[in-house]
Amino acid sequence: MIRIYRQLLVAQIQAAAQYRIQALLWMLFSIIRPVIFLAAWTAVSTAQGGSVGGYTTSDFAAYYIALTIVGHLTTAWNSFEFEFEVRQGRLSPKLLRPLHPLHYSVVENLIWKVTTFLPLMLVCLVIALTFQVRWSGEWWHLALFVPSIVLAAALSFMIGWVVATATFWLQRINTVNTLLQRTSFIFAGQIAPLSLMPAALQVISYSLPFAYILAIPAEILRGGVTLERGLLYLVGQAVWLGLSIVAFRFAWRAGLREYSAVGA
Amino acid sequence: MYALTPMDAPVVDVRALRKVYRVTERETGLAATFRSFVRRRYREVLAVDGITFHIDPGEVVGFLGPNGAGKTTTLKMLSGLLHPTSGEATVLGHVPWRREGDFLRGMTLLMGNRSQLVWDIPAADSFLVLKEIYAVPAAQYKRTLDELTELLDLGPLLHKLVRGLSLGERMKVEFAAGLLHSPGVAFLDEPTLGLDISMQGRIRRFVAEYNQRSGATILLTSHYMDDVVALCRRVIVIHHGVLLYDGALADLAERMAPYKRISVTLRGSVGDLSTFGEVVSSNENLATIHVPRAQAAERTARLVRELGDQLADISVEDPPIEEVIDKVFASERPLAETTA
Repeated sequence: MIRIYRQLLVAQIQAAAQYRIQALLWMLFSIIRPVIFLAAWTAVSTAQGGSVGGYTTSDFAAYYIALTIVGHLTTAWNSFEFEFEVRQGRLSPKLLRPLHPLHYSVVENLIWKVTTFLPLMLVCLVIALTFQVRWSGEWWHLALFVPSIVLAAALSFMIGWVVATATFWLQRINTVNTLLQRTSFIFAGQIAPLSLMPAALQVISYSLPFAYILAIPAEILRGGVTLERGLLYLVGQAVWLGLSIVAFRFAWRAGLREYSAVGA
Repeated sequence: MYALTPMDAPVVDVRALRKVYRVTERETGLAATFRSFVRRRYREVLAVDGITFHIDPGEVVGFLGPNGAGKTTTLKMLSGLLHPTSGEATVLGHVPWRREGDFLRGMTLLMGNRSQLVWDIPAADSFLVLKEIYAVPAAQYKRTLDELTELLDLGPLLHKLVRGLSLGERMKVEFAAGLLHSPGVAFLDEPTLGLDISMQGRIRRFVAEYNQRSGATILLTSHYMDDVVALCRRVIVIHHGVLLYDGALADLAERMAPYKRISVTLRGSVGDLSTFGEVVSSNENLATIHVPRAQAAERTARLVRELGDQLADISVEDPPIEEVIDKVFASERPLAETTA
């Protein structure tokens, strides 16, 4: 499998190299939303004397920069891609090979994140200097962030695949994707840090997987959680990842029975 | 070649294979569109209706039928892309739709109108990915690639981006990609679709030579009868999902068209030739006559004798295969006992 991955990485880097501008633009799009919310919360915080619910202007900046980095590292577009592949008849050639189609997406996903990470960090540095960010974390926050971001990226990827399998039944899953994105927008800590949300919304947020992909790793990276709570969050992420893997395996097997290989 | 089944066992074994698709249906018009929001109407389409056949190692079999006959659906089931509604099949000893690794490594499905290569990189790089996916040992990979490069004249194409290749060039690299792992069974679905005459001939020669060199079993669909005549001694004819004929191509012509075609060219205009057989066309000095196969020699001799100096040219041949196949499709019923 290592040899397969190595060769897929080489091929994917070659393909990605031809679309450098597009990759950079996608990266910049992903920054716009957190920056808008950062600007809004900074204005609110300033108007209220420098703090909202315990978050100073600098805390907001740290949170949204962390959220931008986490958003970048956990983004997964495989459900959009999968629908396109099924409709274009491009899934069938992959199904004919002794390698699960999921592996191609893993490589594609990794390449995009790695190749755009450096420019993203430069943009984040500019934002950090502009908003005078102060990092309030400990060394163990960074140590905790590593497994947390890996789990979050894997969870986001697997949820993408679970949604992707809906294509076998529905043919078009744009609406499912949109619904998921809107739900994530509300409950993943994109509008505000979770602790600033109304209590009921917080309960829902911690009961759904979206916060475990974005808000929680971002809070860990920002240094906004205790060690005990951080470890508890990791367990929550692992449980959601396990559930998504089981759901995917079940949905994939059932979906293949429905697959009609249209257009291929 | 893969030897996953005993020597005498069929490589492809299909029993009562059946596939029913469920498709949504609605009438035209605004009212029908609104009704379909509330209640969907489905219709079952029987694509393959209980076909049974087997193919022995090394055979090249033509799989014929008009559009919508069920050919591609059958190939998709045999390559593991589709689950059948009922029936059984094994390919290389595996149930295809279980998609086991050994099965996938032992077969290939090539579709003339579909690409399996990455468009944004040269074919040579896609080949390296396939080498690793199929776990082809380095020495075998080199040998196979050299052989395919020679057979398909791939040299100048390997390092071009796939998206920059012409249709004919792309088909050649697609063939190579599909055969790099030396599959024991190849399902070829319209492999010459859209290619010019010269490229069609080249692909045909390649398939024949590949079959001879590797001993691979090949099941081929094509609308070009030249492909079938050049490559297949045996054909399976399917229509409306039902198997109509399975046997030798030559026997099919004899059974469906029990006549020979005599074409005569005269020095003057054509007179009444109906005493020699059924005159199917007559035009100035050219005429075509159908005569019963058994009497073809006697009628030809009579024509030569009776027309004498008037006769400029004469030829006796089987009716074109297209005509024979059309008759099978038109009959829409199985032709007696299958012979394979």
